[in-house]
Amino acid sequence: MKRNLRFWSRYTWESAGATLTCAAVLAVISLFGAEGLDFGTFAMVVPYYLVLSSIFMMLMINTGCQTLYVPLLLSMGETRRNVLLGFHYYRALIIAVTMAACAVIWLLVPGEVSAIGLRSIPTILCVLLIAAAVGSVMGTLFVKWRWLSMVIIILICGGAGGVVGFAGEAVASGKMSLAKTVDIVSHLMELPWWLLAAAPVSLGLDILFQWLLLRRQEVKL
Amino acid sequence: MSLHCENIVKTYSGKDVLQDVTLDLQPGKIYGLIGRNGAGKTTLLSILSAQNPAGKGTVTLDGEPVWEHRKSLAKICFSRELNANAESGLAAMKAKEYLRIASTYYEDWDKALEERLVKLFDLNVKKKFGKMNKGLLSMVTIIVALCSKAPYTFLDEPVAGLDVVARERFYKLLLEEYSNSGRTFVVSTHIIEEAADVLEEVIILHEGKTLINADTQAFVDSAVHVSGKIEEVDAATAGLEVHHPETVGRSKGVTVFLRPGQRVDESRDVSVQPVSLQRAFVALCGEEEAK
Amino acid sequence: MNERLTEQKSIYLQISEMIETDILREILLEEEQVPSTNELAKLYTINPATAAKGVGLLVDEGILYKRRGIGMFVSKGAREKILAKRKAAFAENHVVPLLAEARSLGISKEELLTMIGERNI
Repeated sequence: MKRNLRFWSRYTWESAGATLTCAAVLAVISLFGAEGLDFGTFAMVVPYYLVLSSIFMMLMINTGCQTLYVPLLLSMGETRRNVLLGFHYYRALIIAVTMAACAVIWLLVPGEVSAIGLRSIPTILCVLLIAAAVGSVMGTLFVKWRWLSMVIIILICGGAGGVVGFAGEAVASGKMSLAKTVDIVSHLMELPWWLLAAAPVSLGLDILFQWLLLRRQEVKL
Repeated sequence: MSLHCENIVKTYSGKDVLQDVTLDLQPGKIYGLIGRNGAGKTTLLSILSAQNPAGKGTVTLDGEPVWEHRKSLAKICFSRELNANAESGLAAMKAKEYLRIASTYYEDWDKALEERLVKLFDLNVKKKFGKMNKGLLSMVTIIVALCSKAPYTFLDEPVAGLDVVARERFYKLLLEEYSNSGRTFVVSTHIIEEAADVLEEVIILHEGKTLINADTQAFVDSAVHVSGKIEEVDAATAGLEVHHPETVGRSKGVTVFLRPGQRVDESRDVSVQPVSLQRAFVALCGEEEAK
Repeated sequence: MNERLTEQKSIYLQISEMIETDILREILLEEEQVPSTNELAKLYTINPATAAKGVGLLVDEGILYKRRGIGMFVSKGAREKILAKRKAAFAENHVVPLLAEARSLGISKEELLTMIGERNI
C-alpha cells in the first residue's frame, strides 16, 4: 500500500503541474482586457480558473491514466483492489488540493467575490465530483470504444475552447466588469438538490462501473 | 513450494486459447515455454501472473491463490513484451519513467544491477518507447525482469529483435542471475536452438494444450531420427511413437519419441541420429504440414 | 576447456569428456581445482544443472573429487584412469565403425591391415 500511495502522490504532483499551467493560461487571457481590474479582484477570480482547469484536467488526464497507468500497475503485480483505491486516492487528492487552494486564496484576499466564493465551495465540490466521475467513465469508454471517446474529447475540447474564446472576447471588449463577474459567480452559491444528489450518485456509479471492469481487465501494454 | 495452475481454460471470442492447462513450476529452475505463434504462451503467462483473469481454473503459489493476493503477486514478475505502436499510451513514455515505476512496485528492486545493465546495453533511458526499436524494447523488459528479483520471473520473447551477440549476452546474464539467486525463470521463445542448453525444463504448448512438460535433456534424449529404406525404417520403428515422416523416393526419415524401455530396432539397416530440441519441437508441432 | 559443444551428443556427456580431455592433455593437472559448475554454465551458456551432471559423472568415476566448501579437484591417478577407460572404449568407438565402413566398401581384412601398417602411430 505504501508504494501505491507513493506512486499516486507523485502522479498527482505531476498532473498538478499541468493543471496550474492550464489555470495560468486562462488567467493570462483574462489579464489582457483587464482595465479597472486591480490585483485584489484578479486574485479573487483566479480560484475559478483553477476550478475550470481542474475540471478540464480530470476529464482529459483520467482517460490517459486508465488506458496506460492502470494496466501498467496491474502488469507490475498490483492488486485490482489497490489500483482502484489508488486511483480514487489520486482523484480525491486533486479535488482536495484544488478546493484547499481556492479556500486559502479567498481567505487571504477578502472582498465581495471572495465572500461569494467561500459560500460556493459546496457547489464547486459537487461539480468537481461529477466531473471526476464523467472523466473516469470516459476513460473506461476509451479502453473499450476508442472512437466514441474520441468524439467526446473533441466535443469537450471544442466546448472548452468556446468558453475560453467567449470569455476572452468578453474581457477584451470590456464587457467583463467586476459587477458582471459577481453576477456570474454568485449563481454558484446556490446548491440545487439535484446537484447535491447527482454528486454522490455519480461517484458511486463510477466506482461500481470501474470495479466491474477492473475485475475483468486484461493487461495490454 | 511451487507455482501451480490447474485446469486453466481461456476463451477469446469463442476460440479456446487455453484448454485445460495444468502445470507445476518448481522453485529454482529455468523453464522454457515454447510453442508456435498463437499457441497461447503470452495468455498462459498473463494468467499465471494474474494480469489476465482465467476463464476457468485456479493459480496458486505455495498453496495460496495468486489472484488479488498481494503476498503472492509480490513474488511474481511477468515482464511483458512492450508494444510501443502509435495506439499505445506507452509510445510517449520514457524508459526512465517505466524503470522508476517498476522500481517503486517491485519490493526487492536491485538498483545497482539496473545501472549496470543500462550501461551494458548502452540504453538511452531518456528515449521514449515510441522511438525505440524492438531490440531496445526487449532490453528494457530484460532489465525489469532481472532487477525485479522476484522469485518467479517470466520473460515473454525476451530475445525478440536482439542480434546474436545481444542474445548470447542475455543468456549469460540470465545464467549469472540464476546461479547467484536460484530464482525460477520461465522464458518463452520461438528461437529455440540457442535457448535449448539453458533450459532445464521444457514446456511445449501447442494449440492451447501442454504437449510436453519434462526435463529438457530427457526429452531431447527420448527423440531420435531414423532414416533409410522405407521398409527398413518402418520395421525398425514398428510399435513406436513416430512423428513427422518425410519420404523421398525409396528413402524415408522419421522422428521417433521413445518411451522408457523402448528402443529402435538397430539390427535393421537404418541410421539412427540424435535430434536437437528444435527438430524435436518441429516434429511434434509441425505435423499438419507433413500430412 | 574451450572446445565447442555439438548437437550430436548430450551436453553433460560433452562436458565430462572435455574435462577428461583437458586432464589427458595436462591442461588440468592432478590435485588442481576444476572450474565450478556456475563457471562452466556461463562459459558454455548452459544450465548449471547440466554442467553439474557432467561433473557428477566424473566424481562417480573417481576422476574428480569434492573438497567441502572449496570445489572440485582432479584426483590423484585421474590421468591413468581416463587413459585406461578410453583404451577400453577404443575398440567399440573406433574399430567397430571402421570395420563397418570397410565392410560396406568391400575392403578386405588384409587390405585394411596393410593400410594401417603403412602409417605411423
